[in-house]
Amino acid sequence: MSPDEIMAALVRNGCAPTRGTRITDALLAPPTGSASEAARDAVRGRLLATVPRLVERLPVGSQVTIGLPQLRRLARGEGVPTVPEEPFTWKPAFVRRSLGLATVEACLDHQHRWGPTRAVGPVADRAVAEWQRTGWQTYHWEPWFAGLGPGARSAVLAEAGTWAAALWTALDWRRFPVPPRLGGPDDQWVCAAPRTVRLRGRCELRAALVGEPTGLHAPPVIGTALVSVASGVPDHREGEAELAFLALVAALRSPSRPVPDRVVGLWLQSDRFRVVEITDELLDEAASRVVAAIEAVVAAGEVTPAG
Amino acid sequence: MAPLDTDTRVAPLGGDQIPAVPTGGPVPTGGPVPTGGPVPTGAAGWTPLARGALLDRLRVTGRPRPLADPDRVDRLRRSIEDRIGPLAGTPDHPLVVTKGSLTRALSCDAHREPAGFSEQPFSLPLAVGALVDVLFRQLVTVGSLGDPMADGLDALRVDDRRAALLHWIEGLPYGDRRALAGEVRRQATGLVERWPALDPAWLPRTEESMRVALAGGSVELAARVDLAVGRPGLDVASVGIVEVKSGSRRPEHRLDLGFYALVEALRRPAPPFVVATYYTRSGELDVEPVDDELLAAAARRTVAGVRAMERGAGRGGDGGVPGACAGCATQVPFDR
Repeated sequence: MSPDEIMAALVRNGCAPTRGTRITDALLAPPTGSASEAARDAVRGRLLATVPRLVERLPVGSQVTIGLPQLRRLARGEGVPTVPEEPFTWKPAFVRRSLGLATVEACLDHQHRWGPTRAVGPVADRAVAEWQRTGWQTYHWEPWFAGLGPGARSAVLAEAGTWAAALWTALDWRRFPVPPRLGGPDDQWVCAAPRTVRLRGRCELRAALVGEPTGLHAPPVIGTALVSVASGVPDHREGEAELAFLALVAALRSPSRPVPDRVVGLWLQSDRFRVVEITDELLDEAASRVVAAIEAVVAAGEVTPAG
Repeated sequence: MAPLDTDTRVAPLGGDQIPAVPTGGPVPTGGPVPTGGPVPTGAAGWTPLARGALLDRLRVTGRPRPLADPDRVDRLRRSIEDRIGPLAGTPDHPLVVTKGSLTRALSCDAHREPAGFSEQPFSLPLAVGALVDVLFRQLVTVGSLGDPMADGLDALRVDDRRAALLHWIEGLPYGDRRALAGEVRRQATGLVERWPALDPAWLPRTEESMRVALAGGSVELAARVDLAVGRPGLDVASVGIVEVKSGSRRPEHRLDLGFYALVEALRRPAPPFVVATYYTRSGELDVEPVDDELLAAAARRTVAGVRAMERGAGRGGDGGVPGACAGCATQVPFDR
């Protein structure tokens, strides 16, 4: 029977697992095969040898930043702008992810028993209070949010709360053997040269993969999976290499840590997910996508100017 | 989490029998919307449902809730994909189908409206709609409203898609702006008085965006619902969808509900169990329990709409689908 046939049979018998369970099981399954250290060294060497030459004709001091959004645009045959088209101003959509992740995290910490749509307000208030007390901006939006009137604040909370609720229901959080890490700083790897190339990998969740428990010991952590949340529907032009980019950046950033074993793409609006197992070949393919993206950026002349 | 139909931890019943607020007085312009006061009546002395009774009307449809069924999803998907034929849309440039584009494609010349919000000329009713939408969102999210006009404009200010409308509102002559504020306040008062508290365990989600790819990505169904309630993904339908309208009933509103139900049914294992339109002006609630028949009808309409779009029917005729123009329907029966 195919997975869907099994699912259909379970449904008919009234014992279907939630869809969150299906996604979570796929996310947390034992790794089927990981990228090797040799592959990591090889792609690092390849990028270090290739990238500086690619950006040679850019002005000295300029920067190129490549992230998953750029690779996705490239896969869709669109340009890869790296410079913002308009000056940055805060709006609810820009707060959605960080506040949404903080809200889910607070719910996982059992700080809020009612779930994310109720928790989002107190989480935002606490962030503002913390900024006012210490001057430290954990999320950067705290001063902006604190200055909003009630109507605008509610728009921000609604945006983040709805996003958080979608993520909250997409996964079965009880099945994580080790609490996942939500958000956090982006993985970054900088190819230092007169013209800096920065690879930026942003994922929403990092989960530990565990093996079988031995004796009285807790199950050993045997790998890592990353989750990337996207909007819309999965694009058919996007292959596995785009998601593997996140594993590539994580692998380059922390040579002492194992290469992530798996990346899961999660499209909340369409309720779809894609699981990508990271292999040597895929790591190399992701590096090729990076090279292509840098070439496209250089060809378009779209770089952050020097200084 | 308690299911939507059995949980009793909701706002108490009884708020729907409170005497009416007198109408026709001076237009209120400032101050927060009071809570806990009398519930305004609708036209001709009809008392709209409020609070617990309103919630019960949404939760208890009187029909068994649909089960999650991958076969249904497959059938629905095939019923659309097999009938839409060769497409102008491609996976690289999908034909994006929304409730608005469907209605336009299937409308006759007399009832066809401009394409999309951005192309509609600004008007007081349009402004009321935008403001009431954000106030409803605020009420669901934080449970209270302050000064409706101030809160509503505040919310529009952080939505760059509404910048032009905001500019238009801010440029209104005093009298028009006062009339706008009055109507917004009237509807906001009705909302505060009637709209029930939603159990946070039901995860009330506002402006939830839904997308479904069909025909290998050549067609995308896209919707954004004002309110979705209930945790999705269980083996029985548990999501309710509510669309909020600040204007009068229109035939296409019911068809919009069918489209929402279809998109949700195609993207999840279980369809929604109910779709509803809440009219903030009158307090009326139109409820559609979701069943296979409703979903099949919505799928047929979507096919007709996609075909009409493919033929460029937006330029004339009713898309070759007799009776498809919602505006031509003389009367559409509604539950009440």
